[in-house]
Amino acid sequence: MEVYDLRPIIAPVISLVCAAMVFFLGHNKYWRRFWMLSAATLKVIIVMSMLPGSLRGVVYVFPMIEFTPGIGLGFRADALGMFFAVVSSTLWVFTTIYAIGYMKGEGQRVRFFGFFSLCVSTTVGLAFAENLLTFFIFYEMLTICTYPLVIHDETPEAFRAGRKYLVYTLTGGACILIGAVIVFDSTGTLSLGSPGILSTDIPTGTLALIFTLLIAGFAVKAGVMPLHGWLPSAMVAPTPVSALLHAVAVVKAGAFGILRTIYNVFGVDVLQEVGFTMPLAWLAAFTIIVGSLIAVFQDNLKRRLAFSTISQLSYIVLGAALLTPLAATAAIVHIANQAFPKITMFFVAGAIKKKTGKTAVHELAGIGYQMPWTMGAFTVASLSFIGMPLTAGFITKWYLSLGALESGQYWVLAVMVGSSMLNAAYFLPIIYLAFFKAPPGTTMRVSEAAPTLFIPILICAVYVLILGTTAEVVGMPFSLAEAAVHFVFGM
Amino acid sequence: MYTWPHWLPLVVLTPLLGAALTPIVSLRTRHVAPWWALGMMTVTSVAAGMLILRVALEGPFSYLPGGWVRPYGIELRFDEFSASISVICLIGWLAVLYSFRYTEWLREVPKQRIPYYYALLLLNLGGMIGFVVTGDLFNLFVFLEILSLSGYALVAVSGEHIAEMAAFKYLLMGAISSLIVLFSVGILFGITGSLNMADVASRLGDTGSVAPAALALGMLTVGFMVKAALFPVHIWLPDAHSIAPSPISAVLSGLVVKLGILGMLRLYQIYYTSGIIDLFVLNQILVWLGAISIIMGAFFAVFQDDIKLMLAYSTISNIGYIVMGLGLFTNFSIIGGSVHVFNHAIIKATLFFAAGAMIYRTGYRTLSDLRGIGSSMPLTSIAISIGAISIVGIPPTAGFLCKWYIALGAFEANQPFFGFVLIFGALLIFVYYIRMVNAFYFQAPVRQEVVDATEAPASMLYPTLLLAALCLIMGVLGRIPLAFIEPAVQRLLTPLGG
Repeated sequence: MEVYDLRPIIAPVISLVCAAMVFFLGHNKYWRRFWMLSAATLKVIIVMSMLPGSLRGVVYVFPMIEFTPGIGLGFRADALGMFFAVVSSTLWVFTTIYAIGYMKGEGQRVRFFGFFSLCVSTTVGLAFAENLLTFFIFYEMLTICTYPLVIHDETPEAFRAGRKYLVYTLTGGACILIGAVIVFDSTGTLSLGSPGILSTDIPTGTLALIFTLLIAGFAVKAGVMPLHGWLPSAMVAPTPVSALLHAVAVVKAGAFGILRTIYNVFGVDVLQEVGFTMPLAWLAAFTIIVGSLIAVFQDNLKRRLAFSTISQLSYIVLGAALLTPLAATAAIVHIANQAFPKITMFFVAGAIKKKTGKTAVHELAGIGYQMPWTMGAFTVASLSFIGMPLTAGFITKWYLSLGALESGQYWVLAVMVGSSMLNAAYFLPIIYLAFFKAPPGTTMRVSEAAPTLFIPILICAVYVLILGTTAEVVGMPFSLAEAAVHFVFGM
Repeated sequence: MYTWPHWLPLVVLTPLLGAALTPIVSLRTRHVAPWWALGMMTVTSVAAGMLILRVALEGPFSYLPGGWVRPYGIELRFDEFSASISVICLIGWLAVLYSFRYTEWLREVPKQRIPYYYALLLLNLGGMIGFVVTGDLFNLFVFLEILSLSGYALVAVSGEHIAEMAAFKYLLMGAISSLIVLFSVGILFGITGSLNMADVASRLGDTGSVAPAALALGMLTVGFMVKAALFPVHIWLPDAHSIAPSPISAVLSGLVVKLGILGMLRLYQIYYTSGIIDLFVLNQILVWLGAISIIMGAFFAVFQDDIKLMLAYSTISNIGYIVMGLGLFTNFSIIGGSVHVFNHAIIKATLFFAAGAMIYRTGYRTLSDLRGIGSSMPLTSIAISIGAISIVGIPPTAGFLCKWYIALGAFEANQPFFGFVLIFGALLIFVYYIRMVNAFYFQAPVRQEVVDATEAPASMLYPTLLLAALCLIMGVLGRIPLAFIEPAVQRLLTPLGG
């Protein structure tokens, strides 16, 4: 059921207004905080207000603003988009609080928070994009808005990382645009509102070209190997930005784009017939394993987390590529199940850096004696990635494995097991160091980071547990994912 | 009101007569000249508005001075392509306004000679308008000469140390191309016995003289391509456009090069109607040259430090887009190409106006000197950033729809390779505009003048902001020009495909 509603457009516009306010009135820090926090809260309220309707199967639509026939800006809050919007708007609140605490005393804060708000605006715009062109616009805006955040420190290293980031993501964006042109040329529409607009009447060569272009373009941001090169370098950004880049906005935009391509541009039926997704599944599996292997050898905490992100994101890609309902459920819920633990970890890394100045893993010996709660949150997040029951990560692995069995791809189970072990291999040593390898004479002297850093960490960690235990509770995001799956598989 | 027939001669004669009278009216005091030029352009703009209204409501129409029917008399013809005079008037008017303060600042120009500057500018604009609305081949050549000659002189005005050299290079290339155009017009007259375009088009098919017609076509193409600065005959452009005073750069880069394109469109109208030659080969050549221009222009622009030189190379790249759109010769690509004539003019004028304002305030013109200007001239910097994202073609700005249409045309014509060239060209263009934005916003200032700079005076600032706003508006309202130009493109394509 489609209902005309203003909310799909208001949600991105709020952060846009917020960004404008920060740019023009943000020189006073209290006003800046006021705008940031009230916009974040308002946005969550608006997105959440659509949640009950979405769960009932209502799709909120804002009619298209046409530039020219068939081409224009359109907004549509379907179940899949709502899922992404709920995750990113919830995380924005915590990231905003965290960023306010983290950026105290740093330079250029007006610019920082202005672009920060723009990023979130574009992420929600992406979630609600009704057509491929709107999607592309927000996708490119996201690239442009995150660039000033990546080069925030204005060091030569930051500029180098920024340049690399742009080269990768803009090339990806160009591929998407060409793909969109070909889709429009073949079908005369760009709509993402149906389970697939392409059909097998189109020559297979053209379909393969479209698939390659769109998937390659989105895979850049989703960090699928070998297109992941920008992600570890972008670590030079301040930690809230890394959290935003790696857990919420940028990488998820790529993963979400892959989901949209597979489910709404091609459609499951067409892809099952032409069979393009198997190479993608292999590539994702390769990324999962190799990303983890590289992570094991990283000593810089943020770099280790970056390679972990690369590995984790490919769960979404793998789930989508298997083309079965259960695997699709896993792919969609992993948007949230990866975001909350990973943002917890980045928050922890930032809190440790702010509090003690430590950035390398080997320096963390005994940190659990000083910041027990923070490291406790880190432990919860780690267990989630390893796939312990009761945590968010378990849900993903369970459904992904079921989906693999459903599609007859038994090798995926081996990938799951291997990945869990590798996750354990690079996260558990950190926890071990923190709690059990304290230098002799270390005493329990609790001094956690400032509350603005500390509280978001705890809340996110609690969320990880909630996501892992309440999957079957009605009204939780999980049911949204199921609704999305029902739509794309026509069930 | 819009049906008054004499708007058409008025739109040509006002700037030309205005130019001739400028030195006379400003005999007593030179301060009259700018106001006089502005007044002339206002009258011209009103006339242009009436003409466009009429063509939108009634379709193309002609004006026969003295009532002499063709082929005996001369003819002024106004069709949808002629509506590009709207952008000539708009940018011309703003360039005159912009020049108020800019010319006073040019140290090399003796103050008492400033009226001549306005006379040349009016002459240039009048030449362009005449070129666009004329229905005769010989008048086409005459107006081409008027606008070219005034163009050479305007480049030399700036007084920069290589200005004379740049103007001379421009003159050399321009004069040769004008001669080529004249010879070809002679050939066409020789084989058809007429100079009226519609008449030539109807007679050309019956003459059967394919070889001379082909020769004329080839030479005319080359002649117009020199004016349009397409690769490989672009070499005059970078110096001329970067050395000229900024308002002139905007006019030259936004408008004058486009007349080569409009000349091509006229040529296509003649040759397609006559059907004497299959233009497939020419189209393929144009597409390839367009593709090379896109990549080469963008590639050279990436390495420029001088901001105006960078913009000049970007013009070559954008001309490449338009020519590629023409050469692909599908409905979408020609619509995209012809609208880009219009949109690129607005975008490039925005960029040159904004760059000019920065140069005016700081005296520096390289990116490395202008670092950090974003905080001292915020409005100008925003304008130049909007121009930059438009020229890259990021939706929803003016540059996007044209590129979308041209790319769509490439796929429609089953030449997907050019779709890729187009989009990766846009990516390269993005790279150099990122460098610019980086320098303006994210790098620490190195010059005291940049730190102390304030916004440019109102007569320079507001035209820039207006154009920047238009870059956005034309993106959102992009369907209006697209729908407007479509009937003309349909007529152009009909004789060929039916």
